Amino acid sequence: MNGYPDGIVKEPPEWLSRRRLLDALILRLKGAGQRLAIVLLDMLAIGVLWILVSYIISWHVYGVIAYTLVPWWLFGVGVVEAAAVWESFGRSLGHRLARKELRPRQGGKSTLGQRLVYYIAWHITVLPMVGLLASPPWHERLAGLSLVPFSMEGKKPTPWWRTSSGLFMAVFLCAAVAAAVSVTMDKESLTRLFTQAGRTVKFWKALFSPDTSILLPSIRDLVVTIFMAVIATSFAVVVAVPLSFLAARNLMRGPIGRPIYTVLRGAMSIIRSIEPVIWAIIFLVWVTARRAPFAGVLALWVHSIADLTKLYAERLESIDPGLVEAITSTGAGRLQVLRYAVVPQIINPYISFTLYRWDINIRMATVVGVVGGGGIGQRLYFYLKNLAWQQAGTVMILIVILVWAIDYLSARLRAKLA
Amino acid sequence: MAEPYLVVEHLTKVYERGQVLALKDVSFTVEKGEFLVVIGLSGSGKSTLLRCINRLVEPTSGRIFLGGVEITRLSAREMRKMRRKIGMIFQQFNLIKRATVMTNVLTGRLGYNPTWRTLLGLFPKEDRELALKNLERVGLSDKAYVRADELSGGQQQRVGIARALMQEPELLLADEPVSALDPATSHSVMQYLEQMNREDGVTVLASLHFLSLARRYGTRIIALKEGRLVFDGPPEAIDDAKFKEIYGEEAEQVEVR
Repeated sequence: MNGYPDGIVKEPPEWLSRRRLLDALILRLKGAGQRLAIVLLDMLAIGVLWILVSYIISWHVYGVIAYTLVPWWLFGVGVVEAAAVWESFGRSLGHRLARKELRPRQGGKSTLGQRLVYYIAWHITVLPMVGLLASPPWHERLAGLSLVPFSMEGKKPTPWWRTSSGLFMAVFLCAAVAAAVSVTMDKESLTRLFTQAGRTVKFWKALFSPDTSILLPSIRDLVVTIFMAVIATSFAVVVAVPLSFLAARNLMRGPIGRPIYTVLRGAMSIIRSIEPVIWAIIFLVWVTARRAPFAGVLALWVHSIADLTKLYAERLESIDPGLVEAITSTGAGRLQVLRYAVVPQIINPYISFTLYRWDINIRMATVVGVVGGGGIGQRLYFYLKNLAWQQAGTVMILIVILVWAIDYLSARLRAKLA
Repeated sequence: MAEPYLVVEHLTKVYERGQVLALKDVSFTVEKGEFLVVIGLSGSGKSTLLRCINRLVEPTSGRIFLGGVEITRLSAREMRKMRRKIGMIFQQFNLIKRATVMTNVLTGRLGYNPTWRTLLGLFPKEDRELALKNLERVGLSDKAYVRADELSGGQQQRVGIARALMQEPELLLADEPVSALDPATSHSVMQYLEQMNREDGVTVLASLHFLSLARRYGTRIIALKEGRLVFDGPPEAIDDAKFKEIYGEEAEQVEVR
């Protein structure tokens, strides 16, 4: 009665059902994605090493900066070929990080012939990216090899200097250190570091002979700084607590929840990656410089929201789902589950994170003050600008005392909560 | 003949887009007042089966009837109401660790009280009295205002039982209630379940690891293997051959006394 002739086929085969087709598609996409990621990672690793080596050679041998030493197209071909060779004949860095290896489908050890077929087929099917969409991919099928989870079964451990990835990492680290040294250091400044320390005596003397006449106004500014941190932190909590629920992976599921989670987490990490000093400058322009501490507060507020949301959400993601199940099974509603299963697990960590962020905000408030965000930082900047070393030293000593005290206080409180 | 109390028909559960098959076409019935024990290896689908009955886990297909009502068709709201009559206790007890025993027991009444009052932590006087009564029943009346994480494992599981008792359940789901306990404590906890079953007429579905415990307390046993129902019958009917079929060739019977 469903369009199929009687007695031959009763219903459509199971693999034709929508769910099965979707499953098969997702399986292939996952496989293709993973293999692509491995290739890209290998190419990235080889490319970066090439650039580092070229940089060192060109700088020290030719005295100029060159990143590839060869035409860019040759660089591209070289990287792709090196990755292909590495993956075909050895166990590449990408394989290692993905915990995979190539093994013959029939078991036993792979032969050089199989590897060679794999290498050639790789160019024909993987480069145009069509071969990856089959399961298993064509080049693996042709070579009789398959990419399987790595296992040490029946093998002896190989020391790192006998593996291609180990050697690669060693060369890479040496090249990175050599390149970093040649970028940041030169002989002249190095000798000065060890011979010219006496030049700074004047500054040290001034820094450690405090000017007591500015103590009172400085302490007033210190209090302003503390208030800035308190206000920024408490208003950030008000926003971050509800946001954290929307940014927790385990709570945001399904076609509506997951996009919200992704967008929110992305936005938060972008906001977090912009330094509070930059935010302070933005808000100084925005709210005009008339009430300077306010711009500083806004800067700290925005940055704290992003930071706290992330910390809170990560805590939410690690709650014990058992208690949620238990409370749900009593017939409790959504809000009741929140109140009795989720809140008891997060309340102390939330308070602890808030204290930690307050502690950071106090330190940040002085930095934000430097660009004109108000408080003690602004005063410090004023003295530094006018080369008033003695007064600047006084302010710095006060800041050290404050930061040390807050550090100690918040550490003690957090230890109590843990 | 009257309809059985709990009917499970062709229950199937597939996790993660067809990758993991937890239950495959499981059907059985339970009469009111039975003490049904579910046995099977770890990962055989026991937990999933129990969680499908109060829909902590949504079945992929199949139907479940409880007292003539099709549970698998209820809306979220109706299901919440239904859950009040289904108590559940867990392997890891799942108590609010930082709260008092009293608070933990009172959470058993959440489904019966208006949301706004419970959000403030307010419960009616009758509920508090009932909580004390139930704590006395599980022998913990002197621990009512102690923090839950200060109790031993066996005591915590008894708090779990008291919480389930608060729901005045008709059906009790026990997901490996004694797996985290030592043998002596296991028996004391199992005896409370037996008491609920005999004195209050609560139908019990308990998953257990040890066959000896299953034989001692169950009125009937069902066995799962890789998500399939492989045995359904009285405890005496599990002989050596059947045991090997359920637990695999290399298994040995271990006694818990």
